[in-house]
Amino acid sequence: MAIPILEINHLTHQYPDGSDGIIDICFSVTKGDFIILVGKNGSGKTTLIRHLNGLLRPQSGEIKLHGKNILKDLILTRKTVGMVFQDADTQIVGDTVFDEVAFGPENLNLQRNLINTKVTQVLEQLNLIKLKDRNPSTLSGGEKRKLTIAGILVMDPEIIIFDEPFANLDHPGTQSLLSTIADLNQNGQTIVMATHDVETLMGSASRMLIMDKGRLVEDGSFTDLIKKLESHGIKEPCTCRIGRPWQP
Amino acid sequence: MATLNPFVFRPGHSNLHYLDTRCKFFLVCIVSLSLLKANFPACFILLGTLIFFIQQINLELGQTLKHLKYFILFLVFIILARALTIPGDPLVQLYGISITHQGLYEGCLVAFRFFLVMVTGIIFSNTTRPANLKNAVQWYLKPIPFVPEKRVGIMISLALRFLPLILNQANETRNAVHSRCGNLEKNPVKRFIRLTLPLLKKTFLSADHLILAMEARCYCENRTDPEFKPSGKETLFIITSLGFWLCIQFF
Repeated sequence: MAIPILEINHLTHQYPDGSDGIIDICFSVTKGDFIILVGKNGSGKTTLIRHLNGLLRPQSGEIKLHGKNILKDLILTRKTVGMVFQDADTQIVGDTVFDEVAFGPENLNLQRNLINTKVTQVLEQLNLIKLKDRNPSTLSGGEKRKLTIAGILVMDPEIIIFDEPFANLDHPGTQSLLSTIADLNQNGQTIVMATHDVETLMGSASRMLIMDKGRLVEDGSFTDLIKKLESHGIKEPCTCRIGRPWQP
Repeated sequence: MATLNPFVFRPGHSNLHYLDTRCKFFLVCIVSLSLLKANFPACFILLGTLIFFIQQINLELGQTLKHLKYFILFLVFIILARALTIPGDPLVQLYGISITHQGLYEGCLVAFRFFLVMVTGIIFSNTTRPANLKNAVQWYLKPIPFVPEKRVGIMISLALRFLPLILNQANETRNAVHSRCGNLEKNPVKRFIRLTLPLLKKTFLSADHLILAMEARCYCENRTDPEFKPSGKETLFIITSLGFWLCIQFF
């Protein structure tokens, strides 16, 4: 059995107003996984993924990275578990594409030569090298998302967490982003993705976690859980409904 | 895609782009100080120089002026205020109010100086990366005791980075208000509140998201700073600007 990179044990978090964010969440992430985390709005997906790299602290339970509590070394945690946020505009801090990707390695206080080499490699890997001197605000939505991935990838994470990466993207942007993420996974990168867009990820994701009212209600393979989506308020992919009457 | 306002960095290959940021900072200070005493010929010489640099950095003059329409309106107000309040030989007289020759001259000169300061600022921000600006601010503040130079630097660079985003958000909010006929509201206080409340809410939310995103990428104060890369032309620029300043002081 594969050794998990990340173990989430009985994680519970309450919001400051006393309402439950997530309740008793347990699961683990192993190398090479492509996990999608689905659930209705307000089901606790974002709250859960923000715990995975220490942005939120649990009231009870713990998260272990390679067997050690993530809160003991937050810098290592955030370097190992990268996070791509939903709104690219508020995540981008650099004034050129190159500077934006260099932001993470600069925070790690790496040598300037090493930073330049790593940034160039990642920009080439994601086909962004031609845009390296562009102002990020002039990029298209899809390019901005790719840029945010590059900003994480340059820190050599073992796991990349995505929060609704396809939100507000057009079809070509979605396809291009999906192909980038699928390539990363095929090259051994572990992916955890919170999303509503199950249909887009058919054939890419290997495992599905379904959340409902702050609880993890299902954990299984993509194909096993696809028929249970509707009962938790998530739209079943149209391709799985062939033979059934169309539902808006 | 967002539209670029005139105060954002535009990558390029002009002399000013490659000039050391500390030097550019110094030049902006010298030009601003020179303008305090500059007369019309000096202002025109500086305007010519600035237009030369505007062409070098490929900045569209018409578009830039369009963005500055409210500032230009403010300058017109300054000219009128000076023309109406400074005593002297009347140029036009109407119902006891007179526009004086001296007032008009003074008003035009002050407005011209303000305009040149603004254009200098635009050229500076168009050719300087906020990251380098942050570095230069840190460098100048380092010798001053009890000043947290790194924090001041990062605050300035973030403000420069997010000012265009806030302006874009203000535009979106204004369009949303106008699309529901909010522009028909005559009360300026109500109009102001309808624009600023959603804008402030959005801005604070964006700031929250930014903090999380920076934290997620291990942000700390002790980070690798951009390097200063002098282009070799700094001495020439400094000597020329000091010469200009001295000429204005003594002639």
